[in-house]
Amino acid sequence: MIFLESTGSWGSLTGRMHPLLVHLPIGILILALLFVLISRLPRWQPLRAAIPFTLFLSFAAAAASCLTGYLLSQDGGYDEKTLNTHFYLGIGVAVISGLWWVTYRMLKKSPRLELLLALGMLLLISITGHYGGTLTHGDNYLEAAMPAALSSFSKKAVAAETGKYKDIGDALLYEDLVQPVLNNRCGSCHSQQKLKGGLQLETLALLRKGGENGPVLKDSLPEESELYKRIILPESDEHRMPPKGKPSLTPAETELLHWWISCGGPAGKKVKDLPKNPRISAVLAAMQPSKPVDRLATVPEKTVPPAPADAIAALTAKGLKVLPVAENSNYLSVSAFTAQGFSDADAALLLPLKEQLIWLDLSGAPVTDQVFSTLSQLKNLTKLTLKGTAIKGIALQSLNQCTGLMYLNLVQTATQTANIISLKNNKQLEQLYVAQTGIPANALQELHQQLEQLKIDTGGYRLARLPTDTLEYHKAAQQ
Amino acid sequence: MSRYKKLIDEANKEHLRSITRRHFLMDCVTGLGAAALGSFLAGCGSSGAGSAIPNAVAADPMAPKAPHFPGKAKSVIYLHMAGAPSQLELFDYKPALQRLHNQLCPPSLLEGKKFAFIRGVPKMLGPQAVFKQHGASGAWISDHLPHFTAMADEVSFLKAVQTDQFNHGPAQLLMQTGSARLGRPSIGSWVTYGLGTENSNLPGFVVLTSGGKTPDAGKSIWGSGFLPSVYQGVQCRTKGDPVLFLSDPEGMDRDLRKASIDAINRINEEEYTAYGDPETLARISQYELAYKMQIAVPEVMNIQNEPDYIHEMYGTQPGKESFANNCLLARKLVEKGVRFVQLYDWGWDSHGTDENLAIDYGFRNKCREIDRPITALLQDLKQRGLLDETLVVWGGEFGRTPMQENRDGKEMPFLGRDHHVEAFTIWMAGAGIKKGFTWGETDEIGYAAVKGKVAINDIHATILQQLGFDHEKLTYQFQGRPFRLTDTGGKVITPILA
Repeated sequence: MIFLESTGSWGSLTGRMHPLLVHLPIGILILALLFVLISRLPRWQPLRAAIPFTLFLSFAAAAASCLTGYLLSQDGGYDEKTLNTHFYLGIGVAVISGLWWVTYRMLKKSPRLELLLALGMLLLISITGHYGGTLTHGDNYLEAAMPAALSSFSKKAVAAETGKYKDIGDALLYEDLVQPVLNNRCGSCHSQQKLKGGLQLETLALLRKGGENGPVLKDSLPEESELYKRIILPESDEHRMPPKGKPSLTPAETELLHWWISCGGPAGKKVKDLPKNPRISAVLAAMQPSKPVDRLATVPEKTVPPAPADAIAALTAKGLKVLPVAENSNYLSVSAFTAQGFSDADAALLLPLKEQLIWLDLSGAPVTDQVFSTLSQLKNLTKLTLKGTAIKGIALQSLNQCTGLMYLNLVQTATQTANIISLKNNKQLEQLYVAQTGIPANALQELHQQLEQLKIDTGGYRLARLPTDTLEYHKAAQQ
Repeated sequence: MSRYKKLIDEANKEHLRSITRRHFLMDCVTGLGAAALGSFLAGCGSSGAGSAIPNAVAADPMAPKAPHFPGKAKSVIYLHMAGAPSQLELFDYKPALQRLHNQLCPPSLLEGKKFAFIRGVPKMLGPQAVFKQHGASGAWISDHLPHFTAMADEVSFLKAVQTDQFNHGPAQLLMQTGSARLGRPSIGSWVTYGLGTENSNLPGFVVLTSGGKTPDAGKSIWGSGFLPSVYQGVQCRTKGDPVLFLSDPEGMDRDLRKASIDAINRINEEEYTAYGDPETLARISQYELAYKMQIAVPEVMNIQNEPDYIHEMYGTQPGKESFANNCLLARKLVEKGVRFVQLYDWGWDSHGTDENLAIDYGFRNKCREIDRPITALLQDLKQRGLLDETLVVWGGEFGRTPMQENRDGKEMPFLGRDHHVEAFTIWMAGAGIKKGFTWGETDEIGYAAVKGKVAINDIHATILQQLGFDHEKLTYQFQGRPFRLTDTGGKVITPILA
């Protein structure tokens, strides 16, 4: 002992062997229980002889686990209630397996009692193990990974965070924006279960209380608040939070935290009522729920039912490529790169998809103006490409019925100026491409006056010839 | 031994070789190794499991697939200037460097740094170009790119791109595959793996090279790595037959060709049912693609029937291998639904070792060669309504030093700059990228990135984002773990997104 004392405290290190040792009694006990069960079969009868020894090993391993577990709990930082439950259950496992070993000869005589004990033991180590897991992995470790079918049964099913506010201005800064960041990024260590540094960040009151080194928040002074200071330290710094190996906060999350502290760490305040700087405005703009980054204007917001499979198959058989605009969307994009025989008559095949079809590219297909009678029925169309087709654009006006049409490509067609001007009732049209139609740039002034937002590209760009285009730079030539 | 017997003998040996290995694997599946082998085989792609794309069915690996969310880009044209052009003569204007011209480099810039060729104390080299601000955005562009200056309000410049590889091969691999080591799929392979192609008559991923040489890193930079080899880039030649041996041999008509390909594919299908090797599938679809390409490729690769003003605009010369021709081809391919067109132009390694690699001679000639074509490409895509759905990326594999190169500590015959990893410029345009925007800043001599630093996998994340992918979710199960283009890093460069 003198030697041990002279070499420093060994308690902490021994304690940390607990996660390693703790699996031994679990494994060995289960083996003992297995022996009890299968040795009932005549064929496995000889295994009986091994049971007392296995039980003794379980007892020894369980006792060692209890000892190291106690030492580990001295490190602190665990939820007391869970810790105590785990602690006493662990002692229970050790005591019961020890008693069983001692009374093995007696118990053997009543096989029913023995079987009951074995099953009880299995339950006991499962529960003990679960509490141990809760201590290291946190309370909702299992719930978080549950598939939807299971989690609906779990009382702790995590409520969906999104959809609480329709406009970012109406979001509550702390409750809707800051707390979720703290939960996601800090929650696994600074919670009731783990209490690293004595700090809990689960509620504003606990956050204000601070940790073992005092408060972490200095109102209105983010640069002096431990909560912010540690997040912006370089990743290599030992004080940095979250520590190396744990996912960091995104720049937007960091900015959000900074802004919340600068505002004085308010609770229950709406975003629109707080003073903003340009940086946070950019972050907030990106968080605007009605305008998520991953949304396109050419994909309608309302949802539609899936398209009939046989209609898709009929188009695919014609060589068209039909596919959803995104994995989880029923809206379809249709292209005709490999359907160069696609004719006006075939166009009727598109009609069963009129709800879902939003992007249509018929480039190079030999369709004529008759195709418009079909196209005008595709009411949800937002992008239409008729590049290099045989259309003259006579019936272009009928596209007025496609009230969502934003993009129209008529490049390399024989469309006339007058027909294009008939598009003036397509109020939402944003982009119009008419290069290689022979229409001069100034001919569409009238249309542009009618539709201010419309960008018309008549093409025909030329690059001037510059002397430098042909000038070769050589040392000899220049001297 | 007769030649006939030799052939039989070789065929037998080949057969035995394949049988022994596969029998071993099959035995393992039925035995104890099954559990362990499950993940191993999945890595080969045989089960298709673990793929992030549920409909990546083995039947047609190139079938078009939907991205995670609606993408702004349908195609990508990546213009890679192999050898690494000097940002200090093109976009990153540093008047302070001019004032330091010919002075000795301060030791603070050299301590603890490694350079490919600079030894001892080099001199600083001021910008060898005249800069002006252009467009409403006021972007600095040098007089080396007189036409491109008109595009200042179309592109987003990334001025603080950083890499960690200062040799061409590894740096090109990092730029194109996300890893400086061999074995990873290239960007184009990931994109065709994720999206397939809407034109099954053409390859989904086409590679065009110019400048007389292929890039230092070789064909691995358009390879498919551990992805099935159907996803590798198909290199097309711009001179002669676009794809070698694509025409039918003399005396063989198209029907006979079709019949023989059908027969080969039937045998391959049997082989696949027996062994389930995904590479067999790749072979089947390559045969089919080659047959369809016999008609489609010569048509799309023929630039002769483009109108004269288009040739004038790009500065193309049909029948020659040139960057201009490749730019026009890139537009044509994208217009036909090709997903990813990768251009490599060799000859940008301006060390100053000879006239062609001199910053004041050869470099200017290279700039002239690309100036018209890149400008024409952007304008042509724009007028044809393609720029909105085509992402154009321009850049090299690293940058060049603000110091003049002094290879082996000696004076060089021409002005040149060494490889530089700490900051260089790349630009992107089209498909939801901000127009006329600059992100990132370097210090006053262009040595180090100061603000808006961008890592290579940030560029990859951004490319995937514009195509509709969450770069963290586009994965492929290999060697027991999911792999992705951005590996464990990558942040979408949101400031440049419109």
